[in-house]
Order: sequence, then structure tokens, then C-alpha cells
Amino acid sequence: MNVIELKNISKTYRKGLRARKIPAVVNLTFSVKKNRVTGFVGPNGTGKTTTIKMITGLVRQSSGTVKINGIESFNPQSRQGVSYLSEQPCFYGHLTVNEALGFAANLLRISGKRIGLEIDRVLDIVEMVEKKPVKVKELSKGMQQRINMAQVLLGNPHTMVLDEPMSGMDPPGRKLFRSIFTELKKQGVTVFFSTHVLDDIEAICDDVIVLSKGELVYDGSVMDLLDTGRLGMEMVVFGTVKDEMESLNEIGCIVTEKNNNSIVFVPKDKDYKLVQHLLFSKGKSFVSIKSTSKSLQDLLYHNPQKQYVEHKL
Amino acid sequence: MKTVLTIASNTFKETVRNKVLYNILLVAGAALFLSMSFGDLSVFSRTQVMTDFGLATMSLTGLLLAVFIGAGMLGSEISTKTVYGILTKPVSREQFIFGKFFGLVTTLLLNFALISLVFFIAITLMGADVKISIMDAVVLLAVEMSVIVSAAIFFSSFTTPTLAAIFTIGFYISGHLNDLVDIGTRQQESVIWQTVLKFFYFLLPNLEHFNIRSRVVYDLPVPPDFVTGALCYGVLYTILLLLLSSMVFSRKDL
Repeated sequence: MNVIELKNISKTYRKGLRARKIPAVVNLTFSVKKNRVTGFVGPNGTGKTTTIKMITGLVRQSSGTVKINGIESFNPQSRQGVSYLSEQPCFYGHLTVNEALGFAANLLRISGKRIGLEIDRVLDIVEMVEKKPVKVKELSKGMQQRINMAQVLLGNPHTMVLDEPMSGMDPPGRKLFRSIFTELKKQGVTVFFSTHVLDDIEAICDDVIVLSKGELVYDGSVMDLLDTGRLGMEMVVFGTVKDEMESLNEIGCIVTEKNNNSIVFVPKDKDYKLVQHLLFSKGKSFVSIKSTSKSLQDLLYHNPQKQYVEHKL
Repeated sequence: MKTVLTIASNTFKETVRNKVLYNILLVAGAALFLSMSFGDLSVFSRTQVMTDFGLATMSLTGLLLAVFIGAGMLGSEISTKTVYGILTKPVSREQFIFGKFFGLVTTLLLNFALISLVFFIAITLMGADVKISIMDAVVLLAVEMSVIVSAAIFFSSFTTPTLAAIFTIGFYISGHLNDLVDIGTRQQESVIWQTVLKFFYFLLPNLEHFNIRSRVVYDLPVPPDFVTGALCYGVLYTILLLLLSSMVFSRKDL
């Protein structure tokens, strides 16, 4: 079942006195599945934030439909049980952490008696309980982002839409956020988040959506995407394989030597079990056998200049 | 309704902590006390001058508050992105606009209550009575200010804070000169000009409906239905402007 559905979405901004049209998102269609963590990646200025704003009803699309749980995103009811985290923490300067979270809890219609307990619960998750009486504006950006995350967790939402949640976070903060996502995943919460950090996608996400120049270039599972980058099997064999070199070359293997061991690389289109059997039969033993594949980083950056893919994957 | 009250309460807390408010209050208080001595320079009695000056100060204070706080309110919510924290929750843009309005009006009423207190103390110190008509004048000024605040919110829903402030001042001035537009319409012979002037006469509010200062100062009777009529007029105008603001703001990309 899909929680978020975008169909043929386009967004054009008008700039300047002549109202020059600037397309931000072009004919975008994708969906976010229930109970899954979906990453949203693409280079800067490709329309990620605009798309997220259309999902949360902050921006109205020029054409197409955006639905959350079957309700048009511009209808406030669509945001029932859905929380949003902006890239920049945005709290009122006059409020303390407790007041800011209390304000958010009131808007979520959490009952008065439960508000205090709920604030304690979410502050405990982001490890910021002691900051309760401190004014939000007096906290560092990383700490404000933790409060932002606490605000997102209020009321146990079933869906979370997060715009670069780990932006400006220090390593312990990133680690904490990753563990929060992992826990949310276990609880079956649907999470949709944009990021530039591809390690986060590999580590946390079930699915990934890739945008480039306002258009969709990949929508599918992270495993499938990584599979497209699978290179083959790498076998590290004790000793030399000089006697078997001819047979291995015939199969299409590439053999190199390192630290008195042989590394036999079997391309993905060749049967590695055949190679394994051949080497076993010659009395060879293995140090390791592992699958090798391109990282998400290598898949999405198509050249050493670190340009994102500009073609359909 | 709870959502509107939550936003209103937060807006109230935000505006009462705004230093501009205290500066305006300080200037208003100082002006009121200074006006106690102005009576000696006038041919009218000190109480008359004090009443006239006091009510004018209150009107101007309300305008300044609407301009300095109201006109920049939506703009600052958008530029600081605090609006994201509200409108990404199950909150409609109408609830947001009405919440902002009630919060600001509450601050304004509190401010009016304080200035009125100073004003009444000053009048009593001068040995005069605080008449019912003065109370009526203060109530009407408060209603006028709610119209001005709603106009400031309306302008800030589609333009920059600076332009919204200029438009609000223009709205206040033209609202008080609306009677002159009516007189001008009757004096015009050209049908085209008459139509244009009539359009502006009906488009702009007549803020003179809220001005009974002359009657209060010169102790002239205020017709019994006048205050009720002006109250209804003010409330309707405020609702109309807030609905227009909601319509415009609903279409705004944030």
C-alpha cells in the first residue's frame, strides 16, 4: 500500500518582472510504500525540497496530484499522523524547548494531561531532556536539529517526511538519528527523507528515489539498485594458481597476486561455482569468497567529477 | 477552535515580548502626560484638549502597532520559516490567519487597556469625570484598530513587510478621508470620474464611523444606534479582510 502518491507532478516558479518560467519539477510520478524507509536523493537544485514541500502542502503543484493516504496534500486532513522536519530548524525565538514542543503538541491536539509526558518521551529519545528550560535559539544548530527531530516524533506519527534531517549534525548526532530511524523502521513507521549522504541510504533505506534536473531517474529498492552495480565474485586463494591460469582465463576470470595469495575475480556473467569447483578439484583452498559491487556513491556518480547520473538507471 | 487559540496564544506571547511594543507604549504614555500641560496653550479647556489628544494618541498607537507588528507578521513567519512548523501539521491556512489576528488583537487590546488607564488617570487628576462617551470612543477605537490589523495582515499576505506597512498607513489615511471622497463624488460632473470615485468610496472602509472624538470633546450627544452600527460595521469589515487574507494566503507558495 502506498502512503504518499505523486502523479505527473510539475512545478514551475515565475521569477522577475516578466514572470519568467523556471521549472523546478517536471512530470514526476512516484509513490512511497507503507512501513518502508525511502530515501530521496539528487544534486542540489534538482527539486527535492520543492517536492517535499508539495507533499506537505507548503507549495501547490502547477499540475498533477499529490496524495497522502488518498487525501489531496493541500487538505490539512492529509497531514493527520504525518510529521515534517525541515532542513533548517525553525522555532520561535521567544520559546524554550519545553514551550516549543508544547506548542507543537497543542497543534497536534495531544490532550493537555499527556503533553508533559509526551515531551519527556521525545526529549529522552533525542537525549536532550536537560535542555527543556533552555530557549531554543540559545542552542547550537545540531542541538536545534535534535529538538526538531523531537518535534517530529511527537504523537507517534505513522508517516514522517524529512528534508535533510542530518544536515549540520555532528557524528554522535548522526549516529543517534540513524539509530532513531532504525527503531522507527522496526516500529513500521513510514519514513521518507531527502539526503546527500549516500551511506545513509545504503545503511537505513529500503527504497530510494533519485531525481536529476527535476526528473525521476530511479525509483525502486536499494537492493535492486545495488544489484545493478554488482560486478562479480572475488575469490582469494591460498598460494599460486599458475597451473590453473589457462583454464581460468578461458572461463573469463581475471587473476592477480597479492601477499603470496591469488585473487581470482569472476565477472557477474560467469558461473563462479564452476571456478570454485575447478579450484577445489585441484586441491586449492580459499581465504575468502565475496561478492563485489559498486557502492551507491559509484552508481549515482557516473564519473570521477562526481556528477550525478543524468540518464535512467 | 483550539488550534486557532493555540496560534493566538503563541502570537500574543511573541508580540508582548516585542520591544517595539514597549517603545510605542512608552511614547504614548509620555505623550499623554505631556498633553496635560497643553491645555494652557489652547483656548479650549484643559480637559477638552487632554481628551482630544488622548484619543488621537490611542488611535496613532494602534496604527503604529498594526504597522510595526502586524504588517511584518506573515513576512517574518515566512522568512524565518516558523510557519513550516505550523502549516505542516493538520492546520489550515485559515486557522493560521485567524489565530495570528486574534493574538495580535489581544496584544492590541491589552495595550489599549494600559493606555486607557493612563488616560483615565490623567483625566481624573485634572479633576474631570470619565464619561460614558469617552468609553464609547475607546471601544470604537479598538474596533477601528481590529480593522487596521486585519488590513495589515491582508497586505502582508501577498506583499513584502515594507510595502504592507506603506499600504496599511495608506489604508488608515484613506479610510479617514473617505467622507471627502463622497463629497468629491457629488461635486464631480463627469460620469466617469463619479464612477471611479464611487468605486473607491465603496472599496475603502469609512474609518470616520469609528471617530466620535469631536462629539466627546465638545460633549455632543452620540446617537444610541451609532456605536452599535459602527461595531457591526467594524466586525464585518474585519471578517471580510480576514477571509480575503485567508484566500490569498491559501494560494501562496511557502
